[in-house]
Amino acid sequence: MEAVHAENLGKTYPGGTEALRDVSFDVGKGEVFCLLGRNGAGKTTLLRILATQLRPSAGHASVLGFDVVDEPKRIRERIAVVPQEARPQMLLSAWDHIYTFCLIRGMSRGDARSRTKQIMDELGLWEHKDKVTADLSGGLRQRVIIGMALTVDPEAVFLDEPSIGLDPLGRRSVWAMIRRLTKAGVTVLLTTHYMDEAEVLADRLMIIDKGRVAYAGSAEDAKNATGAKMRVIVEAVAPGDANGREVLTPASNEEIIGIVERSLREGRKVTFKPPSLEDAFIQLVGGSIEEEDS
Amino acid sequence: MRKRIREALYIGLFDSLPLLRDPAILLLLSMFSLLPVLFTFVFTGGGSMTQQALVGAIVLSLAFTGLFSAQSVYFNKHWFRFQDMLVASPVSPASYAFGLSVSTFIVSVPSLVIALLLLVAARPVQLLDVGLAMVVSLALWISMLFTGFAIGASTKNVRRANSLPQVLSFFLGFIPPVYYPLSQLPPEIQPFALLAPTTHAAQLAKHYFGLVSLGVNDIVIGWTYMLAFSALMAYVALKRAHWVDP
Repeated sequence: MEAVHAENLGKTYPGGTEALRDVSFDVGKGEVFCLLGRNGAGKTTLLRILATQLRPSAGHASVLGFDVVDEPKRIRERIAVVPQEARPQMLLSAWDHIYTFCLIRGMSRGDARSRTKQIMDELGLWEHKDKVTADLSGGLRQRVIIGMALTVDPEAVFLDEPSIGLDPLGRRSVWAMIRRLTKAGVTVLLTTHYMDEAEVLADRLMIIDKGRVAYAGSAEDAKNATGAKMRVIVEAVAPGDANGREVLTPASNEEIIGIVERSLREGRKVTFKPPSLEDAFIQLVGGSIEEEDS
Repeated sequence: MRKRIREALYIGLFDSLPLLRDPAILLLLSMFSLLPVLFTFVFTGGGSMTQQALVGAIVLSLAFTGLFSAQSVYFNKHWFRFQDMLVASPVSPASYAFGLSVSTFIVSVPSLVIALLLLVAARPVQLLDVGLAMVVSLALWISMLFTGFAIGASTKNVRRANSLPQVLSFFLGFIPPVYYPLSQLPPEIQPFALLAPTTHAAQLAKHYFGLVSLGVNDIVIGWTYMLAFSALMAYVALKRAHWVDP
């Protein structure tokens, strides 16, 4: 049985905006599934439907075997959600947030205390436990929100841009937390704008564009699907050169040789890199950006 | 049931915790409903007018915080996003609404206690009078809670979520005859004043404390108006507030 199953899922908001259309996919148990897409592509809408926070207007979806519309209670007992742009209450401490959420989730005071300590240790928050969150960095505040979501042991976790605004160390601590969850068999669905994050974490990913599935599969297959053998970066040797920087994705050996010859003539530096997920992403959704621009 | 009450109380605690952690601010906020009493005392030298103002403070202590539930609803949904986290958990919408209501009650307790103590010091009052006046205050609080929930659930604008309860508290609390007697208004204005549910609540509470005398008809009309207003606001709040977004 899949942890998440969606079939022809669609969402049109009451105002008439169509946010999702015919979205179908499966996520296996213990898998990290990454949703990529531009702002407003429909990632958050999809995540909110699966987290039972938003009603779909078409299709079906189930989480852990339970229907999101007919059996939301069964799902809610088994999931944890980190909403996009959630913020802690500035006048309360990290401890206040996580401890009170443990109590709200029905734990005794003793259990809530030990669970709070455990979560704070895991997320590197213990040394900041009594500081009001107004005095914490953005990364630590985000970890407080994640800590609130993880008060119970979930079977599936929905993370909507969990590492947005975090410094590299903060992001890595979130990644480590996600790896710990998957090691314990937890299914993770996350949205992100960071391609490196998707490459590092995702077992599989799905690119959504204008509410439709533009790609679903592994990051490696997405990169191979670009057809490009490599990425060629051509840039000026001297800083401030007006010729600027070009990132090219040649499809044939002849094209590569042509780029190298031209760059040598112009005295510019050439760097070769394998195609990235970002290249694949831009190729997949770039067409729609150009359509909008024209 | 016990589990639901427990989660509601902890939600209420969480919502009011920033103020409980800073009692000076809590006390200062409480003074909001007591300030007109001070001015009435200074300008009238005490007596019946000040006692009527104290009854107004008792009635409005709860009503003001009820109205300000709009901010809790808005900020928990759109700013902190705690509501989204709770929706995706086994917490029930009733517990959540009850929890936010409890939070407003906690915040109003200091001013309510101060106003009651001052009134008891100013004139002899029966326990039954206090009880009846509290029932009136609670009824008004519930109607204002529904109003607050309707505003908080309807607005998508942070400025309005902040300003609307303040504007309404001015028009429902300070303009109508709540802190001062209805009889102070010219007779042709009095029917307009009775459009405000706060006027009815104040009149009833003043009656129960023996400060004004109301006929049976006035009492029935007062209670009917307040209950009808509560029902209307409850309807609007239920229509506008969604646990699972449509």
